[in-house]
Amino acid sequence: MAVSPELVFSVLMGLLLLVVAGWLTRLEDWQAYTPVGGGGYGESTGHGHEEKPAGLTRWLTTVDHKDLGILYSLFGIVAFAWGGITAMLMRVELTTPGMDFLASFGGVGLYNALLTTHGITMLFLFAAPLIFGFANYMVPLLVDADDMAFPRINAIAFWILPFATILMWAGFFLPLVGIDIQAAKTSWTLYTPLSSTMQGTGVDVFLLGFHLSGFSTTMGAINFIATIVAERDSVSVPWSKLDIFSWTILTQGGLILFAFPILTAAVTMLLLDRNFGTMFFAGEGGGAMLWQHLFWFFGHPEVYILVLPPMGLVSLILPKFAGRKLFGFKFVVYSTLAIGILSFGVWAHHMFTTGMNPRLTASFMAISLAIGIPSAVKVFNWITTLWNGKLRMTAPMLFSVGFVQNFIIGGVTGVFLAAVPFDLVMQDTYYVVGHFHFIVFGAIGFALFAAMYYWFPIMTGRMYDRRLALWHFWLSIIGGNITFIAMLILGYGGMPRRYATYLPQFMTWHAVATVGAFIMTFGVVAFIWNIWQSAQYGKRVDSGDPWNLKQSDQFTNEWQWYEGKRQTMLADGGEEDADDAESNAAD
Amino acid sequence: MEEQPGLSEQYTRASPWPVFVALGLVLTEFGVFLGNYLLPVGVGGVLLLETSVVGILRESGYVDSLWPASLGVGLLVGGVGVALLTVGRFNRGVALAGAGGIAVLAAVGFFCYERGYL
Ligand SMILES: [Cu+2]
Repeated sequence: MAVSPELVFSVLMGLLLLVVAGWLTRLEDWQAYTPVGGGGYGESTGHGHEEKPAGLTRWLTTVDHKDLGILYSLFGIVAFAWGGITAMLMRVELTTPGMDFLASFGGVGLYNALLTTHGITMLFLFAAPLIFGFANYMVPLLVDADDMAFPRINAIAFWILPFATILMWAGFFLPLVGIDIQAAKTSWTLYTPLSSTMQGTGVDVFLLGFHLSGFSTTMGAINFIATIVAERDSVSVPWSKLDIFSWTILTQGGLILFAFPILTAAVTMLLLDRNFGTMFFAGEGGGAMLWQHLFWFFGHPEVYILVLPPMGLVSLILPKFAGRKLFGFKFVVYSTLAIGILSFGVWAHHMFTTGMNPRLTASFMAISLAIGIPSAVKVFNWITTLWNGKLRMTAPMLFSVGFVQNFIIGGVTGVFLAAVPFDLVMQDTYYVVGHFHFIVFGAIGFALFAAMYYWFPIMTGRMYDRRLALWHFWLSIIGGNITFIAMLILGYGGMPRRYATYLPQFMTWHAVATVGAFIMTFGVVAFIWNIWQSAQYGKRVDSGDPWNLKQSDQFTNEWQWYEGKRQTMLADGGEEDADDAESNAAD
Repeated sequence: MEEQPGLSEQYTRASPWPVFVALGLVLTEFGVFLGNYLLPVGVGGVLLLETSVVGILRESGYVDSLWPASLGVGLLVGGVGVALLTVGRFNRGVALAGAGGIAVLAAVGFFCYERGYL
């Protein structure tokens, strides 16, 4: 009799549990089983070696917001690499009209799978976790808290992500080892009936991973809200002094709290439709429109979940290198809140061509146009902050200014799309693709790069390589604009999105877009190399104020914390300081 | 061995449980939902999840002793299993009811241990 898979899995799971039990017994002392009495955290001694164990165990067991911030950031960068590789495979295929480059690897099917994973990865596994990474590290410092409100929940939320990601990416790697589980080819919007009827366990595995990643995001959001509201030191940081990044993280948390449960419910219904014979999205049930309404009721706020914190980052970083305070701080906060609320009233602008009631489309058009106003308020505030400032063109500043440029193009093309008659023509063309890439890479990506360079000294104790950072910036902004403007032009020409092959008339601009994508790729390689090398061998930061923020009276809380930490280290003696920085940098 | 404090007592900013809560949750959802020959994965996941939830509750001081937490977690999981059984999902129902039952048994064990019956 052949060995049944049940038996194999039972034995494997038994082994896993044994290993876990063994590891836990080594770590925890079961004899000393007594109630701990109160939370076991919060007494920060400021002395690394008593807070955490050493080596790999530290990273597997940490509940420190700073460590988790670094883990989130590393995870985001790995996801960024995967999202970038899949994008480049598609761009190379699209250089010529026919199916050629991918033909021998899986052809159109593989293209559709790459398309799906690129979108999902960049939104949910790169942008969101990287935002959470910076927020994890900086928000508790900015609001003068010891740690996040729930440090253990924080760690749970992080650890769900890599496991969920394995499920979401599994379909690409399992066929290589002979397991017939194919990657989902549903596109990131998962439209029914395609997603509810597409055959294959691969789609279910992907959906389960997606579902779980939503838990992680929701847990993170609850934690950020609780931290800013309850853990904030109300004496040193009253609401009136709360910084702009924390404001946007707070608003983002609110949006997540309202939007993600809808996604989770919709994905659950989709899984039930696929596996247990329910009919939520079948023609006899809610039909295809039900999915679109649920998905976009989540999906549009998701746009602002992803873009508000980057806006906060730029609002935080720009003034530091313009030598003056953010112009109209209050209005930036108000516009953030306004965008947050309005973002729930615009979802059907993704559905103008579905044949919905025209009177409804008109109201969704009006609100979608209205949301352009608070966005424009922000742009004017950024520009007026720069006006007559003493500009210092460091890498974080360049990326912030690049953000504003890309956001203007991405935003204005979006205002056009919000108009029903224009959308009826441009729906599902490359114009839409160009528009949202200006936002997602040109704005969100750029702000995250800016933050990475700006806080690099705090997070690693070292300085990045300035020349490589400049290469990163210029290659990204030139390559990005070439690619995404080519996409806008393709859209005007009528090139539909999501296709692996196309008519020869579109070849020129597709080739241009691919060239731009390669330029961007060189920039990203410079970025990853720079971060990796500088974290280990970069020049050590020699003061608590590497950006000269004291000069313009903008030496904010996180830098004060950093200066304090450096002084404690010096007082403790240089040896340990060096060791600690070494282990910090190596991870 | 008695002299050495456990990791979570020794280090204020470390806990061994979160990674296993996450892994247990993922394996549970994956194995139990897909069922069939992946059901053993789900059962292992539920056991891991139950253990780590009880562990993290005890460690963070939300519960004073192990048996109420273990009992609660076991009844919750077992209840879901029984609910699945009543709607005719036999394999998944038995799996969850069984895993819940193990946690309830463990609770009985902890109770006896704490009261000195063992
Ligand atoms: Cu939208």
